Amino acid sequence: MLGGTAPGNAVRPAPRPGIGATLGRIGIAMSIAFGALAAAAGYWQVWRASELSSAPDDAAVVAAGRNVVRGEITDRDGKRLAWSVDDENGEPYRKYLSRSISGVVGYASRLYGTAGLERAYDAELTGVTSADPVQELLKKLRSNPSDPQAMRTTLSATLQGAAVKALGGDSGAVVMLDPRTGEVLVLASTPVYDASAIANPATAKVTFQALRADPSQPFLPRATQGQYVPGSVFKIVTAIAALGSGAVNPETTFKQQPGAERGGLLVSGFRIRDGNHPKTGTRALNFVEATEVSCNIWFALAGLETGGDRLAEWAGRLGFGAPLPFDLPTAVSQVTGGGGDAPGGFKDAVELANAAYGQAETLVTPLQMALVASTVANGGILMQPHLVQAFTGRAGTRTVAPEVWRRVLPSAVAGEIAAAMVEAVQGDLGRAYTTGARVSGMTVAGKSGTAELGGTGAPNSWFIGFAPAENPEIVIAVVVERGGRGAERAAPIAGTLLKAWKAWAGR
Amino acid sequence: MTLTAEWRLRPRLRRRELALLIVASLALVAGSASLALTRRYVAGEPLTGGPGLPLANGTALAIYIGGLLTAHGILVLTGRRTDQILLPTVGLLGGISLLLMERLPQDLAGGLGLGTTQLVWLIGSIAVITAIAALVRSDAWLRLYKYTWAAFGVGLLLLTFVAGREINGQRLTLVIGPLSGQPSELLKVILVVFLAGYLSENRALLVEQSTRLGPFRLPPLPYLAPMVAMWAIALSIVVVQRDLGAALLLFAVFLILLYVTTARLSFVVLGLVAFVAGGAVLYQVAPHVRTRIDIWIDPFAASLGAGYQVVQALHAFARGGILGTGLGAGLPDVGGLPPGGIPALHTDFPFAALGEELGLIGVLAILGLYLVVIERGLRIAASAVDDFRAILAAGLSLVIGVQAFIIAAGNLKLIPLTGITLPFISYGGSSLLTNGLVVGLLIALSDRGAEPPPPPTASRGVRRLMDRGAP
Amino acid sequence: MDGVVLSIWILRLLFLALLYAFLWAVVRVLLRDLRAAAHEPGAELGRLAVVASPGGEPAPGDAFSLDAVTTLGRDVNNTIVIDDEFASGNHAVLTYRGRAWYIEDLGSTNGTFVNGSPVDGIAPVAFGDELQLGNVRLRLERARR
Repeated sequence: MLGGTAPGNAVRPAPRPGIGATLGRIGIAMSIAFGALAAAAGYWQVWRASELSSAPDDAAVVAAGRNVVRGEITDRDGKRLAWSVDDENGEPYRKYLSRSISGVVGYASRLYGTAGLERAYDAELTGVTSADPVQELLKKLRSNPSDPQAMRTTLSATLQGAAVKALGGDSGAVVMLDPRTGEVLVLASTPVYDASAIANPATAKVTFQALRADPSQPFLPRATQGQYVPGSVFKIVTAIAALGSGAVNPETTFKQQPGAERGGLLVSGFRIRDGNHPKTGTRALNFVEATEVSCNIWFALAGLETGGDRLAEWAGRLGFGAPLPFDLPTAVSQVTGGGGDAPGGFKDAVELANAAYGQAETLVTPLQMALVASTVANGGILMQPHLVQAFTGRAGTRTVAPEVWRRVLPSAVAGEIAAAMVEAVQGDLGRAYTTGARVSGMTVAGKSGTAELGGTGAPNSWFIGFAPAENPEIVIAVVVERGGRGAERAAPIAGTLLKAWKAWAGR
Repeated sequence: MTLTAEWRLRPRLRRRELALLIVASLALVAGSASLALTRRYVAGEPLTGGPGLPLANGTALAIYIGGLLTAHGILVLTGRRTDQILLPTVGLLGGISLLLMERLPQDLAGGLGLGTTQLVWLIGSIAVITAIAALVRSDAWLRLYKYTWAAFGVGLLLLTFVAGREINGQRLTLVIGPLSGQPSELLKVILVVFLAGYLSENRALLVEQSTRLGPFRLPPLPYLAPMVAMWAIALSIVVVQRDLGAALLLFAVFLILLYVTTARLSFVVLGLVAFVAGGAVLYQVAPHVRTRIDIWIDPFAASLGAGYQVVQALHAFARGGILGTGLGAGLPDVGGLPPGGIPALHTDFPFAALGEELGLIGVLAILGLYLVVIERGLRIAASAVDDFRAILAAGLSLVIGVQAFIIAAGNLKLIPLTGITLPFISYGGSSLLTNGLVVGLLIALSDRGAEPPPPPTASRGVRRLMDRGAP
Repeated sequence: MDGVVLSIWILRLLFLALLYAFLWAVVRVLLRDLRAAAHEPGAELGRLAVVASPGGEPAPGDAFSLDAVTTLGRDVNNTIVIDDEFASGNHAVLTYRGRAWYIEDLGSTNGTFVNGSPVDGIAPVAFGDELQLGNVRLRLERARR
């Protein structure tokens, strides 16, 4: 390495090969090892940080859930729906007003997590997150970092209780909302369950496991996540699409309709039958009459006239095809199963004709049908449905203002449909189909439905409507699983609840 | 060599050491103040408790910094030309440990409380560093009695096997009268001393030889024999003591030193293969090994059971994020038991606690400090005057570096979690005193000699050495 | 309230910043050491040139780069192996102390000589001096730059 002392002679290093070189290599290896540690730290502290630190088993989240007294939940009149009490160890757990609110308020349990509004607004109720990023930074320094918020809902405990009582032992759902603001007053789902027993650590396990095994599915919030064949109540959607798009006007009649009442309507070689309204005889019906008698043939023809693409498009404006913008997660309502080659995703004209009166692959949630009625009731303007009026925390109160979701229809068209729905309840022809929906001293508009489910067994019973028809303040949607004809079960429930609403609202 | 000659004081300034100690002390004061303020804020106490800067247990910090400066003063007085970086670096690590132990629930240690007990051990550790760095001038007592040391180490190990007290399923602690300690901490130093003596002595002879076994070229017998012995010792530690960490540490240091000596990667590969094979067998037959490995592969599968510690450690890192929550604002003290607390936090997971409160930035700084210790030790090794001192210095610095790596990587789910301590940060006397011994030896080994040479009569040591050198 | 939060933030960041200040200072020292080491004449403190070696090991004309401690003798464990019938197993050790070289005879049978005069125990060696062990003669030379 240093040249020779004499030409031709090599300098030999002392025979101690490379301890310095191997030490250097060890130094590099250790640097790489510590680089790997740095990379691992970066992975957990940056890449996975937000995921881990908000996970349910994170110490901060668990501690907050265990020790924080969740904010109270009240109804629109200030009545407590959910509040916290201390167990024998001084740790808080939840109590609930009644079983009737279980489908919407849900539960918060140390063992089984949360559901319903307790889940949707967990962060606000425990106060672990805050909308303000500065607060978010500061709260890490606080002894009690959480700022639990009290939540005032739009619900009415009175009407909610009445709805559950009216549904009785049946499985089903009732939605009532204010069409002018989108405030939901009732979001009932039966069967109900005892949320207090789930929240109470002493009874949580037994209660929860029994409910989970219950074949009647009490944990399914039917109002938002139940998917039902709509039957004739879907005719209001078809009417919105047909009249809204201009494919049909209120005076439109179909000359083949009276004949088809007997022999059936031939569509692409497939015979669509109807025979439920012998009173109208051989007269060709207009829109109001067809609605009044719930004429399948008229609506099938109107649907064909409108076309699959326009029916799907207008249904989409009402909220079909996507989860609804709502406080709770909602199931998607559909006009068709989709994937077909015909316009709008229908398989063919037969499916479209059947869908037009709600009897093909159409599936809806009760909340969606309430929004359909709400659109008609509110002059064509669809308000965004919501369940919370205000949050109140340390920093003050934040109120939730009503929001227009979208204008669906011109108010004139909405008025035409509303008029038809009034006739369906109040008119001579409609009475037979909506018995029990009428309320003395108030004009009710509505549409019943009888959703054939195929096979044996009773159909699902439907009613959607609103009141008072002149200046609608309340919308209602009722579905009773296997409740029979709409007139038999859902319409009377609607009548009872509208009566209850009238008393509650002092109208 | 006469004592009077040795003990004539010729003070030598150590400017770099002093400057680094001042920076380290300032950092610790800032940390302590941030801890104190956070604590008062959290407790809702008045924020200006007295005149001047509020400190978290200012007395403890003052004693600690005073201890460091005293050590510095003693090293100045002895006037040796030794390393000036190691003392401030481990001093800073120890100071971080002091802040952390002040901050954790004090009832984790009985008696004086966690913070105060740790302060006592830290002062002890500094004393050991200083004493060894000031007094050890000859390495003969290590070099000449390597077999005695080895026998002592094996004896210590066997004693622990037989008489060790089992704590948390690990038979690590030896109790003799009022004293208790973990011999495996001392064992690692003894191993390095023995290996340095053994490998340096046999090196020249063996670099070119190898044993043939059929078609395979094996390491020469004098390497093979200790390799097999080490392998057996490591696996027996796993089986009997259930101490995966110590086994990993001892075996890793052994392989690295073997590589340093022979520059043959094949020996290391062979050793690794043997270790992994042994581990694979143990995975099948030893439930505690299987549990550890399974937890490592997916801790989230049993996040409330066996994987709880690891999962909560990862959550702690995640909560820390980049900047950390700040000292005193993390969640390590929620309970010590589920939910929230990490069991054995002060011994096994201080790195996770620091990750939460100091964030990624702090974690990188701490890793950097360990890397400084390693690189400095290797530098001392590279400039050592002979093989023994080179291997010794390399081994000592790697003992600290590899140990820090193993436990930090375990905390970060990079390798299976093991229960060894994070040098100079974990709570515990055995660990602090032994690591003090290691750093003291490193500083002593870095001695570049007194400037004017002593009279050449001082070479009796060398003569004795050469007489015994070749057995 | 906010002032306190601000001061906590400042102290936290100051703590982290000082940790890095420490690391930066250490790295500066390490780099300076490395640069200083690069300016030194390598690890070589001197060299030993073989003047005469009847046995051929070490080969005449060769030169050994010297460490601080260099052992000489017939035993293979020595730094420089002297393959000569008149050399002892562990013959002598050459050490660098402070700034000078010393040769120490390790009780060899035939003795060690510096410029022809026998070494009694330990003797200083200057650059250019000639050492004799058995029949082998070696010259200490200054390290080359």
